[in-house]
Order: sequence, then C-alpha cells, then structure tokens
Amino acid sequence: MEFSDHIKTANVEDVVLRQPLHPPSRGTVCITGHHLLFSDREEGSSRQVLLLLRNIDAIEKRISGSSGTITIKCKDLRVLHLDIPGMEQCLNIAHSIETLSCLDSVSEMYPFFYRPPDLSLHNQWGLSSPEKHYSQIKELHDKWRLSTVNSDYSLCPSYPPAVIVPKSTDDDLLKKVAKFRQGGRFPVLCYYHRKNGMVIMRSSQPLTGANRKRCREDEHLLQAMIDGSDKGYIIDTRSSQQAQQARMTGGGFESKSSYSHWKRLHRQMERGKALQESLIKLVEACGDESHNMDRWLSKLENSKWLSHVQTALSTAGLLAECVERDGHSVLVHGSEGTDSTLLISTLAQLIMDPCCRTLEGFLALLEREWVQAGHPFQQRCAHSAYSHARLQQESPVFLLMLDCVWQVWRQFPLALGFSEALLLRLANEVYASNYGTFLCNSHQERCALGVTENTHCLFQALLRPMERDYYSNPLYEPTELAIWPSVHPQSLQLWRGFFLRWTEHTRQLEEAQEEIRNMVIEWGKLALSDALSMNT
Amino acid sequence: MASPISVYNSNALDTHISSTSRESLKMELLADVSLLPGEDRIIDKDIIYICPFNGAVKGKVLITNYRLYFKSSDADVAVMLDVPLGAISRVEKMGGASSRGENSYGLDITCKDMRNLRFALKQEGHSRRDIFELLFKYAFPLSHSLPLFAYVTQEKYEESGWNIYKPMEEFRRQGLPNNKWRITFINKNYELCDTYPTVLAVPFKSKDEDLRRVAAFRSRGRIPVLSWIHRENQAVIVRCSQPLVGMSGKRNKDDERYLDMIREANDTPKLTIYDARPNVNAVANKATGGGYEGDEYQNAELIFLDIQNIHVMRESLKKLKDIVYPNVEESHWLSSLESTHWLEHVKLVLSGAIQVADKVSSGNSVVVHCSDGWDRTAQLTSLAMLMLDSHYRTLRGFQVLIEKEWISFGHKFASRIGHGDKNHADQDRSPIFVQFIDCVWQMTKQFPTAFEFNERLLLTILDHLYSCRFGTFLYNCENARDQHEVRSKAVSLWSLVNSKMDIYLNPFYTPESGRVLYPVASMRHLELWVTYYIRWNPRIQQQQQSPVEQRYKELLALRDEYLKKLEELQLSDSSPSSRLANSSTPNTSSTSSTPSQQYTHLQTPL
Repeated sequence: MEFSDHIKTANVEDVVLRQPLHPPSRGTVCITGHHLLFSDREEGSSRQVLLLLRNIDAIEKRISGSSGTITIKCKDLRVLHLDIPGMEQCLNIAHSIETLSCLDSVSEMYPFFYRPPDLSLHNQWGLSSPEKHYSQIKELHDKWRLSTVNSDYSLCPSYPPAVIVPKSTDDDLLKKVAKFRQGGRFPVLCYYHRKNGMVIMRSSQPLTGANRKRCREDEHLLQAMIDGSDKGYIIDTRSSQQAQQARMTGGGFESKSSYSHWKRLHRQMERGKALQESLIKLVEACGDESHNMDRWLSKLENSKWLSHVQTALSTAGLLAECVERDGHSVLVHGSEGTDSTLLISTLAQLIMDPCCRTLEGFLALLEREWVQAGHPFQQRCAHSAYSHARLQQESPVFLLMLDCVWQVWRQFPLALGFSEALLLRLANEVYASNYGTFLCNSHQERCALGVTENTHCLFQALLRPMERDYYSNPLYEPTELAIWPSVHPQSLQLWRGFFLRWTEHTRQLEEAQEEIRNMVIEWGKLALSDALSMNT
Repeated sequence: MASPISVYNSNALDTHISSTSRESLKMELLADVSLLPGEDRIIDKDIIYICPFNGAVKGKVLITNYRLYFKSSDADVAVMLDVPLGAISRVEKMGGASSRGENSYGLDITCKDMRNLRFALKQEGHSRRDIFELLFKYAFPLSHSLPLFAYVTQEKYEESGWNIYKPMEEFRRQGLPNNKWRITFINKNYELCDTYPTVLAVPFKSKDEDLRRVAAFRSRGRIPVLSWIHRENQAVIVRCSQPLVGMSGKRNKDDERYLDMIREANDTPKLTIYDARPNVNAVANKATGGGYEGDEYQNAELIFLDIQNIHVMRESLKKLKDIVYPNVEESHWLSSLESTHWLEHVKLVLSGAIQVADKVSSGNSVVVHCSDGWDRTAQLTSLAMLMLDSHYRTLRGFQVLIEKEWISFGHKFASRIGHGDKNHADQDRSPIFVQFIDCVWQMTKQFPTAFEFNERLLLTILDHLYSCRFGTFLYNCENARDQHEVRSKAVSLWSLVNSKMDIYLNPFYTPESGRVLYPVASMRHLELWVTYYIRWNPRIQQQQQSPVEQRYKELLALRDEYLKKLEELQLSDSSPSSRLANSSTPNTSSTSSTPSQQYTHLQTPL
C-alpha cells in the first residue's frame, strides 16, 4: 500500500496551532507519508513545525459544529492542538495521523527515506562492534577469544555475529550452552576491568526447569570465566522467589550445588508492563494542569518511577562494587537478558570505566550494550506514555537508563563528557528518529532489512563537529576514579529536563545551560590562543 | 554504598590559627584544631561520640568559649565535629548513674542547624558534671551573664563589613530623594518607632505630624515607609505593620490619607495592599486590636497572600528535621516530605513575592504588611526586590539587601534564633530567615547565571546566623544594636565574606541589569535544599564537592583573565567588542541540532 492511500486530505489552510511555549499561530497543515508540517501563514515568516508522525503517541479529536480540534500527544511528551476548519478535513487528517504514525513495516519508516545533503550512505555505520571492542583490549587476548559461532544467528537470534568468550571454551561447547539459556543468550563478556582483570558477563536465565536440569557445558563456561579465582558473583535481577517461580515455566537459576564457586545475589527489578505503567502515571502527574497541586509529591511517589531509578542505580552500584571493590567477576542476568540486564551492565560500566564517560565512549557503550546486545527497541518503544493502544511489549527500559545516567550526571557535574542535551536527544530518538540506529529488535533483523546500507547512523551524526560541540559537557574533567552515585531517595530528583520539558521553567534553564556552555567555550578559546601565542 | 570519610564540620566555618592557644592545649589529638583569636579552651575530656552514621566513636572533646570540637582517637574512623556553641539550642543529661546499657550515660545536645549530638561518658564519679555545667554556661552565655563570643573575639579584617550598608547611599542609588519621596530623620532617636531604623523614606507630601499620627494607628508604630522604588515607572514597595483596627473597626483618616499619598506619588489609579497573612488570621487579629485595611481605604485593593505565621513555620521545619536526622526517611520519602508542608510554605512565600514584583514592574505601587511587619513582610519585600533589582543579586548587593530589609527593619533575630539563650522552647523562635534563604536558593537554582554569589555564601550566612561569632545577626533591632555598641565592639560577617570573596562567587554570573526574574513557584519545580537540610548525613551529601569547587575556581580565574583581555581590547580599540555580546547572550542559532529547534528551523524537502 502506498502512503498516499492513507492521505485523503494532504493540505488544510487556516489551521490554528496551539503548542507549549509559543503563542497560537495560524497557518497551513500538510500531511506527508512521514511528517506533519505546519507552516505559519504570516508573510515573511518562515516558522515551521515539522513533526515526525512516528513521534505521535496518541491523538484525540473533538468535533464541534463545522470544525474540529485534534490534540496531538507526542512521545517526546509535547502536547499540540490543531483547530481545523471543516469536519471532513479534520477527520481525514486525524485518520491519516492515526494510520501513518504506527506503521508496522520497518522498511517504510522514515530513516529509509531520510537523505540529508551533508550525510552519505557510504559513511561508516556505527562506532563499535564486538570485533573492535576485542581488538582494543589487548589484556583480554590471553584468556578470551572472539567467537564467530553465531555468525549465522543460529545459536542466538538476538546476539551479534561475534561475541567474546573464554578461550578455553570451544564453539561446540557454546552451542550446547546456548540451548541451555533462554533465547540462546549464552554468557558473553561485556566488560573487562583493567584495574584488576575482573569481568562482567551477561546472559539470559538458565533453562533448569522444574526438574532442576543441569548443563555441564554451562557450568564449565562459567568456571572458565573465573579461572584462577576463588569465586564469582551472579547478579540475578529478579527476587529469589521470582527466580524459583521461573522454573515452573522452564527457566530458573544457577543452583549452589551445580555452581559451587558462584554466589548468587538477587535484586528485584521492575520490568515490562510495571515499568510502562509507572511511566504513564508519572507523565499523567506531570501533565496535570489543575491548580490543586497539593498532592504533587504523593503523586510523584505513587508513580514509583523514582524508586525504579533507585533500584536500577543501586543494583548497578552493587555490580560495580563486586568488580571494583570486591575484585570478583560477575555474571548478570534476569530472565530474557535483554532489558534490566543491559540496564545495570551499562550503568556499572559508567560508574567504573572512565572510557565510557566521554561522549564517544558513552555512545559506543550504548551501541554495544543495547543495539548490538539485542535490546528489542521496536517492541519496547512502539508507544510511550500517552498511547491508548493496548500495551503489548512496550517498556521504557532505555528511558529509565537515560534517567539514571542523568542522575549520575547531576551528582557528578564534572565527570561525564556529555551534556544533558545528549540524554534528551537520545530520549527522543529512541521513540522517533530520522536515523536507523534504534530500528528493529536485533542485529539479525537490521541486517535482513539492510538498515546499515539504507539508513544513516545516529551515533555517527552526533559526533559531527557541530553536534559534538553541542553535546559536550563544558565542565568535563576526566577522572580515573569510579563515581559512586548516592542512591538515597533524597539524592535522586525528578528529571525535569525531560518530564517537564515543555514548561517555561525548563526552557529558561536550558537557555542558561546554553549560556554557560558558550561562556566556558569562549574563555577556553582565549586560554588556548594564549598558549599558542606563548609557543610562537 | 559508598561511605566517604566522615567529616561533619561545616566547611564554611573558617578558622584562623592562633599559635598561643594551640601550644597551651598540649594534646596531640587536638593539636590540629585552629582556634580563633580570643578563643580560649574551657575544658577537654575523653568522651564517646554516638555518631548516628558510624556508631559509638571514642575520642576527645574540646570545649572553648566558641565551639565544641570533637576528634576520634581511632584512626580507622576519622570523625571530626566542629560546632559553634551558638548552634546549640538545648543541652540535656542522658541517662543516670544507674542506667543500664552501653553508652547510656552522657549528654544529649540539640542543635539549631538540623542536627543533634549525643556523647557518652564513663558512669563513674559524676564524670559528666563539669562538662555539662561548662557547656551549659558557654552555650547560653546570656543566661549566665556572660558576653556573646562576638564581643570576645579578636578577629581583624582589612575591610569592615559594617560599611557595606549606608542607608543614604542606598537611597541615592535608587534615585531618592526625589520630588515625590523625601528622607526623614524623625526616628533618629527611635522615638517614632523603636524597631525601625533612623533613616526613613516617606511621601514627599507627608508632614512629620502625619507620620506621628499614622504611627499611633500602626502596630508598634511601624508606619508605611518606602523599601524600594522602580527607576522607570516610579512604582514603590512600601512596608509596614497591620493597622490597629480592632473589634470596633476603628478608622484613622491620617492613615487613609497617608496611603493615598503613596498611591498618588506615581499617579496610578489603585494602590495594592498585600496582607501576607491568611484571611482568617487577619480577621482574628482584630480581637487583639489589629486588623486589616477595609473599604474605607478608597483607591486601594487588599490581597491576602495566605502565608502562615511563625509557629506554623517552626513546626514545619521541626517535622522536616524529624525525617532527615539522624536517619533519612527511606521508604516514603516524598509523601513524608509533603506532610511537613515545608516546600508548600516556600512556594507560598515565593509566589507572594512574585505577585509583589509583578505588580511593581507593571507600574503599580504596593504596600506589604503582615501583623508586625518584621517576618513575612521582610520575606516578601526582600524577595520581590531580589527579583526586580539586579543590584541585590551581586555579592555586595545581597549583603545590602539583608542589612536593609532584615537587620535595619527589625527582624527579631535575637528572639527568632535565641542567641545565647537557654530557653529552647521559647515560642518566639522561628526559622523565618532560614526560609528566606531557602527561597533565595530556589531562585539561584532556577536562574544559574543571574546571581553573582554561590551556594556557599548562603550556607555561610546560615552558619553564622547561629554562631554568635559576628555581630551581624545579633539583637532584634537597630535601637538595641546601638545600645550594645555592636558595630564598634563586634565584627561584621561581611568582613569575613569580603576578605575572600572569590570562594563565594558564581563563575557563570552574567550581569543583566534590566532583567526581572520571575521564578516558577510551582511545587513541581521546587526542590528540597538537600545540601543544607541534609548536609550532616555523609551518605546523602553531594558527591565530589571539592573537585567541583576547584573547577569553579579555575573557571573564575579564566573568566577574569578573559574580562581583562576584553578590557585591553576595548582600550586599544574604542569600538565595543562584539565578543562580549556573543558570550553573554545564548547563541542558539549556531546549532540546529536540538530536536525542538530542528522542528522549527529545518526545511526538509517533502
């Protein structure tokens, strides 16, 4: 089906647009296959609002007499109103938005059509890969190897073709282990701690099932992981009760008797639907325009979002403590190993590893731990907090990760090389994007659709000189030390920059941040020019 | 998780080394304490500090006439306490000679600055008697006919902070006197109003007899006088106390005429009177002879701002302390915080001040009062002035603001804080000034480039609000200050601050003289000031404070160098530099990469 089949009315004149932070304006609305474009009618004014239809989470239409109002609620939490003359036109526009904003076919999405003049499809796609990661860490090469056993995705459809595993395990063993782990996600290395040689591995749950099945190969792989050390930790992102229950449906956990050198730590992390509902509650509280705001703090608490932030950060802290302070290697998993597992492995690396705290390093970390590690973006981010659609696989895990990173950024204003603006940009891009980076659910799917050949890479785009400037933290001062965030509720704040983004206050703060950035850059230029003139 | 080294001394309380008293200590453990000139050892003792974060810590305590200092003797638990005695509100004995249980016998100390301290001693030979009695005596010197430490200290500074505020200079800066407002010295002997300063600005047309008659109709003679005038539109902020209307609904023609003179001065049709109190409280005040302006005041409108009284604020902060010290509420933090209502009170004070500022900047004069006009009124006028006048947002201007609206206009610091007084349950005590500083902090968070000073200044001010080391916050009014010769016998806090200004400066400060700041006073945008209220808890403290301060210091140096260069450029080339203009306005057009900008600026081929 062509896009045009969904567009009965492409243009409507004399539409009034009401949006936050701007006075209402009158102009023309135009619907295309991927965009809603509003252009101001005023002569000489070129103000336009270009909205990716993919960014629209929900619409509400209200017809009164011969005209109607469409309320557009976006995934970036903006709410717009369009007053449209003509009932039929209004209904047509609404219908087009409804259909085109949630097209299922990935190859019809905008990234496949986005062709800005300053980017070429021949540019490098992506920043990091398991191959590159492996080659960068020379210390690994003694005991770890790069395996291409998954090059045809037959072991694990959600893993990339190459993974890092202990040298003493051969591919045949991996094949057996993959059968013992949900979705074939056998334990692979995701982080090597240079200070003490300890590692973080991640996987999915073992399929022990009700009759406590064992897998010698799995036990062997884990043993190889802690070769030469007295013990390792397993951080299970479920409560021990949840892990027990998982056995009834074929899953399970590593029992003490079979994995005697491993100590299991259970930390219950909310996932899936519960997380999505928490986001919905929070956004609802933030959007409550009523004057009676007496109960704001209770509403914030009831949404439980901040307690999810707290759990994520403290579990990541626990993981980092095991590695950095206690000096042991850790295996992380929950059930599928595609959500909370990635969340805490990402945060732990940010806490421990200075390389992950630069702009480039952080983007590479996201690419490894989320994009290549097979976080199902398409399922998780199909809808956001406003959608009326029945929830399926949506869950704002990636957004929660960004929020946690923001908390770290707030507590350590010098330690991260990137700015809040980057986190905000990523929070938008993951739901609706011009770029192909967050499309699909796995490496395999992206290859099948030719994403790398036919779309542009967000991470590369964010590293162009102007963007690099904009997304850098002007106060950045690298530290080699681990940065341990405080996780008490008193130390955590609502991420106002995101959740209250479309308010006057947040805009003022954004402007002030921008001002500070320009100031520091300007001063720095002077220092640099002084240094240069000293040299000559 | 992370447990940083437990050092609970406030970094803002700076000390000078006095070598003589240091020698006299002759105690290795306490050798590194640096005493102030004039500070003397009273007693020292082996003691156990029951630390809420590390458990019982053995060490040595030193009491001087200024501070309580404790240092752990165990090298593994580095705990240090450095508490000015002025911060103590209550000292009690804990347990008795026959109490059972470990560390059950000792002292329990309640502080005014959001913490309590407990010490345990050996249960033998009345071991606590001497320290208890001496601590009690020196913590509450006024209850024992002893001088406050501010009268004992021998500190010397190059600049005298007492010169920071000169009423006439400040009036001149505002453009006063002019043909509508005159300066009067009618109160030079504190006869018109004993809690007002000597120099007052009043309507040009008002005669001294008018002022006397108005004084008779205003609670404690606190007549309406000018606090601030808008240079362009000549609208003014006038402050006073409630009119003495009483149950019988008394009227006073002079008072009515006087308020109309204020309105006439800038020729607006209506004068707005902001009564800070809730409506019902204003009505209730009639029973005790007070009240509010009724319909007889023509050309005036009265608006109640719903701000609660000193007792409500005291209880609110007490509740807040309960949930942050010694243990922080974990499981229901936000709803517990909500139930203290502290942030809600902050919101009401801020939104009241916003209304005042908005009215004035749109050209209408306002009168602000509460009951006596020294608590809520001071909060509202000073915050509104901070929003309207960028001068008060500089380091020195802020000092002027506090000296003027709080100190000279008789906010009863002595009664509200209870300096040197043992009567800890005094109903006159209330954290009104703390609440004001909290509101200022909220504003600095919302406008990170608008204030020349940083958070450290606010913390320093609050530390010395209690410490009794400086004369600045002592006594209830100017009259009392004169009688006790504070300015000649004690040092001003601003002497300390201005002797090392750089640590109090915000590197990102961008002067914008005409800008009126309207903070958002919505619960959603207010935050609890964690770095003040929960600063004693080492686990909650903002991390890595010192590298941040270090970095800010470097940035300040870089900025100064930049400004110097710029000045040189301007001297050599008289045309105004465009680089400065660039640096002080957000250069938003240079990037098109924020999503919002992308949508509004980008022209994509469709």
